[in-house]
Amino acid sequence: MTARFSATPYLFLAPALALIGIFVIYPILAVVYFSFTEWDIVRPPVWVGIQNYQQLVADPTFWKALTNSIVYLLVTPTIIALSVGLAIIVNRKLRGVSIFRALYFVPAVSGSIAIGIAWRWLFDRNGFINSVLISIGALKTPIQWLSEPSLVLPIAMLLTIWAGIGYYSVIFVAGLQNIPEELYDAAQIDGCNSLQKHWHVSLPGLRPQIVFVSVISSLAALKVFDEIYVLTNRTGGILDSGVTVVFYLWKEAFVLEHAGYAAAIAMVLLVLTLAFSIVNVRFLERGQERV
Amino acid sequence: MKIDRFPALGFAAMLAISACTGTASPSPAATSPSPAAASSATSPSPAASPSATPLAADPAEAVIKNIEPNAQITFWTYYLSPTFDSYIKETIARFEATYPGVNVTWQDHQGTFQQDLNAAFAAKKAPDVINLSVGEGWVSDYASKGLLLALDDKVPQDVQSIYFPGLWKEQLVGGKNFQFPWYQSIATELVNKRIYEQGAGLSVATFPKTFDELPTVCKTILDKTSTLCDIRLSVNDLLAQMTYEEGVKILSADGKKFAFDSPEAVNWLNRYVGMVKQGTVDKDILIANEDRTGLLLFSAGQAAFWQTAPNLVREVKKNNATLYGDLAVVPAPVGKSGVDGKGSMGISVKADTTFPNASIALAQFFTNPRSMVAFAKIVSIYPSSPKAYDDPFFSSTPAAVEDSARPLAKDIVSKYQDIVPTLPIGATKADVNNIVLKAVQSALFNNVDPQKALTDAVAQANALIK
Repeated sequence: MTARFSATPYLFLAPALALIGIFVIYPILAVVYFSFTEWDIVRPPVWVGIQNYQQLVADPTFWKALTNSIVYLLVTPTIIALSVGLAIIVNRKLRGVSIFRALYFVPAVSGSIAIGIAWRWLFDRNGFINSVLISIGALKTPIQWLSEPSLVLPIAMLLTIWAGIGYYSVIFVAGLQNIPEELYDAAQIDGCNSLQKHWHVSLPGLRPQIVFVSVISSLAALKVFDEIYVLTNRTGGILDSGVTVVFYLWKEAFVLEHAGYAAAIAMVLLVLTLAFSIVNVRFLERGQERV
Repeated sequence: MKIDRFPALGFAAMLAISACTGTASPSPAATSPSPAAASSATSPSPAASPSATPLAADPAEAVIKNIEPNAQITFWTYYLSPTFDSYIKETIARFEATYPGVNVTWQDHQGTFQQDLNAAFAAKKAPDVINLSVGEGWVSDYASKGLLLALDDKVPQDVQSIYFPGLWKEQLVGGKNFQFPWYQSIATELVNKRIYEQGAGLSVATFPKTFDELPTVCKTILDKTSTLCDIRLSVNDLLAQMTYEEGVKILSADGKKFAFDSPEAVNWLNRYVGMVKQGTVDKDILIANEDRTGLLLFSAGQAAFWQTAPNLVREVKKNNATLYGDLAVVPAPVGKSGVDGKGSMGISVKADTTFPNASIALAQFFTNPRSMVAFAKIVSIYPSSPKAYDDPFFSSTPAAVEDSARPLAKDIVSKYQDIVPTLPIGATKADVNNIVLKAVQSALFNNVDPQKALTDAVAQANALIK
C-alpha cells in the first residue's frame, strides 16, 4: 500500500515556514556570509575569507568582552537564590503580601532603558547613593561609580539581578504552590524546622523551575546589552570595562561600521549560545525525568 | 533581561535584518562640540521661536542653471524638526517658486541620522540633498567612500565665492569640496556666576583665554566650592581636538604616517591627566559621548562652566530659569593652533543623484545669504557668507545673553579653517579615533605613561594604512 501525498498539511505550514525562512533562516545565512566579508554597510561587502576570524582570535577587546560575558553569568545563581528566597516569603499568607508581590514585579514590567537611566541617576556624582553615603558620614566626597572601571560590570549585574528577581520569583511561587502540603506536614512530623522543611521539601520540589530559570537567565546574561548601553552612556565604560560580547558586536557594526567583523562576532556568539543551550536543555530533560 | 528561547538566533537575525533593511539601531548621537567647540554637530536649540513672515521668492536667488525639468528631489536634515518646521517648509516653498518644476520632499532625522543614512545608501535610496556635520567629519567620511558629489566643477565660481573661503575649503577629499557651508556656531563658555564668581571668587572677565589656564582655574573652583569642572574631550574626534588645542601635527611631513606622539601631543594629554589626578574634573563628563550630558549637569546648576554653542543657552533657560539669570557667556579658550575652530554644518549632494543641478540648487539655496539671515533671526546660528552679515541684524545690540556673541560672529566665522589633514587611505577616522580614545583613557585612568600610550596608538594607527 502506498501512502497518498496530501498537500493540505504543507499548505497549513507554509505561512509559518515562510516567516521563519525570511526572518530566521535567511538572516542567519546572511550573517554567515557577511562574517567572511569586509563590509561597512554603506558599500557592497568584499570577500576576505577567514580574515575576520583570524582578527577575532588576536583581538584583546573581544577576549575582554567574552570574559565579561562569562563573568556576567554569575547573575544566574544569585538571581535564583534570591528569587527562591523571595518566593518563599511571599508564598506565605501574610497581610498585605499581594501589595508586596505587585511592587517587586514592577521592574519586570518596566522598560530596561528606563530602569537603566534610573540607575544611572542613582549612581550619579550627585545621585541618591552618594547623597545617602555622604549624609551618614560614610563618604566625604562623592564617588564617580560608573567611571570606576572595576565597578561598571558589578553595577550592571546588580541592576540585572534587581530587575529580574520579581519575574523569576513568580515562576518559583507557582512552583511552590504545586508542592503538596502533605510533604511539609510529613517533614514536620519527622522533626524538621522551618528552614529544614524548605531545604528538604521546597528546593527539591522546585527543581524543574530552578533548571528552567537557570537556562533562560544564563542565556539572557550571555546576550546582555541594554544595561551596559544605558549605564555607560553607550561607551562600554572606561577602558572597555563593561563591554560584553553583544555590546562589542553592536559597537563594531554600528559605531565603527565593521559589519563584517561584527558578523564574525555574532557567529561566535551563535556557537556559544547554541552549545550552552544544548547543555542546559539536556540538563533540563534529565531533571524532568527525575522529578 | 528578557526571556528568549533562542537568543543567539534572534540576535543573529537582528544583526542581519538591521544591516539589510536599515532598521535604525541605537547609536551615539553626534552632538559633541568638537575641537574648539565651534565645530559642532549640535543642532540649533529646540526652544527657538518660529519663523517670522515668509520671504517672497526672488528670481535673483536662482543662481544655478540648467535645472532638470520636473526634478523630484529629497532633502534630509539633522535634528531640525519640529522646532524649525516653519522655516524649512517656507524656504522649500520659496525654492520651488524660484526654480519652477522642482519638487522637494523633506525629512528630518535625529538620533539615528547616520544609521538611517547608511541604510539608505546601502539600499540605494539615499536622499539627493543631505545636511551633514562638518564638525563631526561626516562630509569627509561619506565623500571618501565616493558617495557625495564633488562641487568645485559643478558650482559656478561666482557662487562659490559668496562663502567664506575657509568654510568652502573644509572637509576636502582629494583636494575637492563636497559641501555647501550652512549654519555655523561659535565656541562659547557658559558660566554659572554663582559658582564661578560668588563661590570661587573668580572673575568672568578674566575667564581663561587658553587651555593651559584651565587646570589652575579648576583647582580653585574645587578648593573653594567643592565643585568639579565639567570639561569634555571630543571623544568622537580626538585628533581634531589635539590639533586645534595644542597645534599637534597628526601626520608626518610627507602625510603618509601618523605622528601624534610628538611632545605637543604628550603635553596635550598631560594637561587632562593632571586634572584627573588632581581630582578637579568630572570623569563621567570628561569622556561623555554627548555634549548634552554636560549641558544637563550645567543646566542643573552643578557646574561652574560648560563649553557649548550659544544657541543652546535657550535650553538652559528652559530647564532652569533661575540659573539663566546668573549666566554669563564668554569666548571659549583658543588653542595653540591659533584657529578658533572649524565649520559646523554643511549641505551635500549625493554622488549618483538623478538631478544633480536641482540638488545643487537646493543645497545652495538653503545656504545663500538671504536664507541664512532668515534662519539666524530665529535662532543663534551664524551665516557662512560675508554678505549675510551686512544685514543690520548683525550690527544691532543683542538683548539676550545667548546673542551676545553676535557682533563678533563675522570676525570669528571668517577665520574658521579645517586644519585636520585627510587621513591616509585605509585609516578611517572612526578607527583611528577609537585607537586614540583607548590610549587617552589608559593614560587618564590606568596610569599608563602618556608618551607610551600615544606612541603605541601611533603604531596601531599606522598598521591600518594600506
